[in-house]
Amino acid sequence: MKNQWLNYLSGSVRVRVHGKGVERFLNTLIRNGVYIWNVQKEEATVASFFILLSDVKKVRVLMRKSECKLYFIEKNGVPFLLKKTWRNVGILFGTLSFLMIIFLLSNVIWSIQIDGAKPETEHRLRQELKKMGIERGALQFKLDDVETIQRKLTNNIEAITWIGVEQQGTTLHFQVVEKKEPKRIEPLSPQHLVAKKKAVITHLFVEEGQPIVTVHDHVVRGQLLVSGIIGKEGQTKTVPARGKILGETWYKSTVVLPLQTTFYVLTGNYKETHYLRIGQLQIPIWWKNKNGFSSYEKETTQRHFRFLHWTLPLSYEKVVWREKEEVVRHYSVEEAFRAAKEAARKELKRKLPDDAVIKGEKVLHQTKENGKVKIEMHYQIIENIATPQPIIQGD
Amino acid sequence: MMRRWKSKMRNWLTNKMELPADVLMDLPRITMIGQIHIYIENHRGLLVFTDHELRLLLKQGQLLVKGEAFVIKTILPEEILLEGKIDQVVYLNE
Repeated sequence: MKNQWLNYLSGSVRVRVHGKGVERFLNTLIRNGVYIWNVQKEEATVASFFILLSDVKKVRVLMRKSECKLYFIEKNGVPFLLKKTWRNVGILFGTLSFLMIIFLLSNVIWSIQIDGAKPETEHRLRQELKKMGIERGALQFKLDDVETIQRKLTNNIEAITWIGVEQQGTTLHFQVVEKKEPKRIEPLSPQHLVAKKKAVITHLFVEEGQPIVTVHDHVVRGQLLVSGIIGKEGQTKTVPARGKILGETWYKSTVVLPLQTTFYVLTGNYKETHYLRIGQLQIPIWWKNKNGFSSYEKETTQRHFRFLHWTLPLSYEKVVWREKEEVVRHYSVEEAFRAAKEAARKELKRKLPDDAVIKGEKVLHQTKENGKVKIEMHYQIIENIATPQPIIQGD
Repeated sequence: MMRRWKSKMRNWLTNKMELPADVLMDLPRITMIGQIHIYIENHRGLLVFTDHELRLLLKQGQLLVKGEAFVIKTILPEEILLEGKIDQVVYLNE
């Protein structure tokens, strides 16, 4: 017996034969190589059986020679199933497009909610969002992720101290905390001013309090500069001493700089590959060549697709390869010393408060050994050395 | 004369060489599984088929199968598989 599954694939037909000599007709069919099965006699002159779809033509030809009549009563198998499906293709198409539309709409930003912002800040924020492409109707996977949006907004809008960005389905929530003008906090408690570090006083700007030191005085760390106790002996009262005491301080810094440095710079060439990711499987959808850079930096962004409120295990992934180039920097000895000095100065400035001034610099030492230069610098800085120290009552 | 001699020759060969009789002599080989299946090889065509009777042409004579609710599961030029409730298998020699 042949495999029933194969019959199902190629399709089969159930036929009913009317007429005298049904048996004879069956014999002819069999002798002509028609495969028949499940023969049933329904009445004396009526039989029904199955034949293959591919044999139908042969059966028709043979039937003309016999005295029987043939009726098709049942169709089975894949070919008929396909025909049926094709007839229902409209419904199928409708269902698919319905799912597609829901899918698309699920991946769109439908509303942007901003809480905690003044109207002008909100307006500013909306403008900024528009610049970033975030507005109603924007596709979610084309936008930056929430952390990036947060960082960009915090950097770009000065009026904002902090912004919380949260995505809930198709809604973006922004929770804004605005900067408030800092109130001047009056030091109400009585205090002294003492030296922050070793220095020579250059200027005294005392707003309140009794200065103890004078210009050109050498002070050490913790030494009293301006006293908060004023008044004559016996009639003293305590005040919060305020003021600026500028002093000359000294810094030493040592910088070692190699004459030859290797580092990487981005050349600006990049290649992007876009992937559709299903679970662990990555399917590239669009790409430019193969990544042919010898050294590169890889940057990956991944956006999940959503369907209604579910996050699908389906995501869009963009991989950017940025070409890196090795650059070797050579310094001559003089250049190296100059660069080292510059570096030392920069480093110092980073450590100092904004209002400090570099009054003078001196090279203490400069050596060259093992392809490196070593420079030791000495700086004279004018900076505010006063720092408040509360007066503890009852002392 | 010639045919008879041929037939005798075959008979003799079968006996001597211990070959299965159905191969050399075109006899039907019938396999039955209880009452529900009957499998007949080496038939020569369908004569009558109803749901309670099957009559097959053999090389010599006919085979009559009687029973109830007959369905021919498969039929090939020389083989037939019948399903149903089989009551009798009868050889008819005319």
